[in-house]
Amino acid sequence: MIAAVREFANRFLGRGDATITVPSFDGALKPNQKLESAETLLTCEAPEDLATVGGNLLIADGPRLLRLDGGTASEVRSFDRSISALCALPGGGVAVALGGREVRLYANPSAEQPSATFTDAAFNAINALALADDNALIATDGSTSCGVDDWARDLMELNRSGRVFRLDPASKAVTRLAQGLGHAFGSCAHGNGVLVSESWRHRLVLVAPGAAPRIVLAHLPVYPSRLSKASGGGYWLTAFTARTQLIEFVLREPAYRKRMMAEIDPAYWVAPRLRSGFSFKEPMQGAHIKTMGVIKPWAPPRSYGLVIRLNAEGQPLYSLHSRVDGINHGIVAAIEMGGDLVMIAKGPGRVLRLPLAGLAEEFSS
Amino acid sequence: MSEIMLSLRKATKLYAGVPAIDGVDFDLRRGEIHALVGENGAGKSTLTKVMAGVVTLTSGTMTVDGADVAPRTPLEARNLGIAMVFQENSLVPTMTVAQNLFLGQEKFYNRLRGIYIAAQQFLQSLNFDVTPTATVSGLGAAKKQMVEIARAVLHRAKVIIFDEPTASLTPEEKKYFFDLVRDLKKRGVSIVFISHALEEALLLADRITVLRDGKRVVTDDAAKFDRAAIVQAMVGRDLSNTLYGARKSTVRPAGARVLTVQNLKMAPMVKNNSLSVFAGQITGVFGLVGAGRTETFKIVSGVLKRDFFHGGEILLHDKPVRYRVPAPAVKAGIAYVTEDRKVEGFFETSSIARNIYLGLLSKFPKGRMLLSRRETDTVGKSWIEKLRVRAIGDHAKVVELSGGNQQKVVIAKSLVQEPDLIIFDEPTRGVDVGAIVEIHELINQLADEGKAVVVISSYLPEIMALSDRILVSRQGKVVEEFSALDATEERIMYAAIH
Repeated sequence: MIAAVREFANRFLGRGDATITVPSFDGALKPNQKLESAETLLTCEAPEDLATVGGNLLIADGPRLLRLDGGTASEVRSFDRSISALCALPGGGVAVALGGREVRLYANPSAEQPSATFTDAAFNAINALALADDNALIATDGSTSCGVDDWARDLMELNRSGRVFRLDPASKAVTRLAQGLGHAFGSCAHGNGVLVSESWRHRLVLVAPGAAPRIVLAHLPVYPSRLSKASGGGYWLTAFTARTQLIEFVLREPAYRKRMMAEIDPAYWVAPRLRSGFSFKEPMQGAHIKTMGVIKPWAPPRSYGLVIRLNAEGQPLYSLHSRVDGINHGIVAAIEMGGDLVMIAKGPGRVLRLPLAGLAEEFSS
Repeated sequence: MSEIMLSLRKATKLYAGVPAIDGVDFDLRRGEIHALVGENGAGKSTLTKVMAGVVTLTSGTMTVDGADVAPRTPLEARNLGIAMVFQENSLVPTMTVAQNLFLGQEKFYNRLRGIYIAAQQFLQSLNFDVTPTATVSGLGAAKKQMVEIARAVLHRAKVIIFDEPTASLTPEEKKYFFDLVRDLKKRGVSIVFISHALEEALLLADRITVLRDGKRVVTDDAAKFDRAAIVQAMVGRDLSNTLYGARKSTVRPAGARVLTVQNLKMAPMVKNNSLSVFAGQITGVFGLVGAGRTETFKIVSGVLKRDFFHGGEILLHDKPVRYRVPAPAVKAGIAYVTEDRKVEGFFETSSIARNIYLGLLSKFPKGRMLLSRRETDTVGKSWIEKLRVRAIGDHAKVVELSGGNQQKVVIAKSLVQEPDLIIFDEPTRGVDVGAIVEIHELINQLADEGKAVVVISSYLPEIMALSDRILVSRQGKVVEEFSALDATEERIMYAAIH
């Protein structure tokens, strides 16, 4: 009852969950154009995730698993469904999530048959895999009702049905570690728990056995996604797009959203995107800014590129951006490899490489 | 006609037997801009007040145009052609600009329309963009300054004395003011100009007189001075390396996020403002007057109440807060050191110790049943020692202190509350150079202790010397962030204006 009254008051006053505010990009999140200076290693159709196996870079591109040698990509194998997540296993193995509903483990990337398969009925949108300290797999599932590619609908429906699963290759057991998350998307082992991105709540939580999720980093101005470990301690956190007040406003207008989802092509929804600027039909916010007394039209970005370097406690140290006038938007994966940071910019379909040497010094000065 | 417009010989003014100025010789040439500089309490104001007839000399002589004079009232001085523009302006706030201009010069029969037309023509002749029908209370600091100056010129002043004229002006307005002063000089008006901003004195003045402890230390052509030389003459020691001297070579790393302001609105000053403040750092906030800096942080600290509906969000330690009055903000660990210490900073007729103790009491929103005189004395004494407040005794009234020491009391009043977030609004406005160094040391010390510190300042060298990160505010919101290492005055100013 109290919760209902509070929710009504919040909606009326525009506070709490009903707020339409967005934190600023400042401090460690101060914008730059660093991602635009990254080298493009490969352009492909639908890159989704990355893994390094035996010094090789594996790329999930739609249903194909690619290996990148130098500047050329070769197909290792392909599946009947799109790969929604990828993870390297100890001993040169690889784990793949297919269509968000099945996880297969292979002893090596080109092995004919999987060494283990997980097809739990609860799986719906497995979007990231990570290795736990005991060699078990941690899988994040974004939604119980929307598929992996239907994440925008999941946001627009205000679903909070994300889950975290622990997959034990030895016993083939699937254990649910957490549920009710706002689109779990990406995880990484952290102490005796797992650090999980909760995209729709714009935060990182620590999921530990037998305890409620604890907030590690909150109030991000972006939708966080996959995590990977960084050399020297800490993590790389990707964010597939930035929050805007327009989207926050739309999220508290149920009638508008319902009608939009029913009548408009999803490509043109007022919703976050991984790429933008390709069609005049795309929605824009009719905003303006006043500069030197002159009112100029302006629209906030629909898509954005961001990778955040976190310290061992999960707090931001610095960040790499591709701003509204950039191309490398929709960063969904970032891993370290041989002194470089390799990333996937899903918006333009690029695999990017950025040398790590001097990066920390550049941003700490 | 003599080259000397006004001169003072062996000018001495005693207050209760203590000399405020002591045997000062001063010459003001015809059509020159003469800067008077010195620490607070050096005797600058007393010297100019003697010229303007506000106080009379205890001994010594004064001549204007070669004739011995001894003006006993400002009216007498005005009749001699001497006008003074005070730091706190002397306009009547409820009257219009035109009425203020002609105040004291009214004819037997006054036609309001005629006054407005005359005022309009006169203001236009000075190239002042001020509406004569506007009420003075609605004008900004710069426009009020313009009206004061216009009034002085209207009274056919041959000597105009400016006491800290640029303290409340924005950089752009300062430039405009300097042009105006140069224009007055061209008309043959002699200008005496008191300023704590030494760059202004060097830039504007033909000659500079440095006063220290009521005595004239040196008078010479401005070209023969540099900043370090003036400071050394003012304080008797070299402060040039500590006062805005060296650029920062390192910045403090950001700690945990203490304050997040998200899309804060309060019409008409704060427009969709967003920013963060981190522990262990000094966050400098620069902007022109009207950029919404002060209002934003007054809302944060509960001094101003923000718009109720969709007025944005303020998070303290990641938890939403909304303060309607300052007391809960103080309790939550936010201290706001006001820019207007005389109005909002202290009870001027109370003692230093009592003022500081009041700061401590405000940490208890419901008050205390009993007040302890012993605690008042102990708390007061410890903070007076800690901040090196210079006063005759702990029970000296704050009104009796110099600007710098008053500011220290205001700061002590806030620090006694042991805040996590300290917001300094123009911390060194109207403060002498010696106290500036001490206040800056204190601000740095607070950041080193891990506190989140915000410094709002319109003075770029101060922002650049203190800040680890610099936020630039324009038209009600933060528009740019710089690390102190890559900020330049040009970049900051560009962001603040364009």
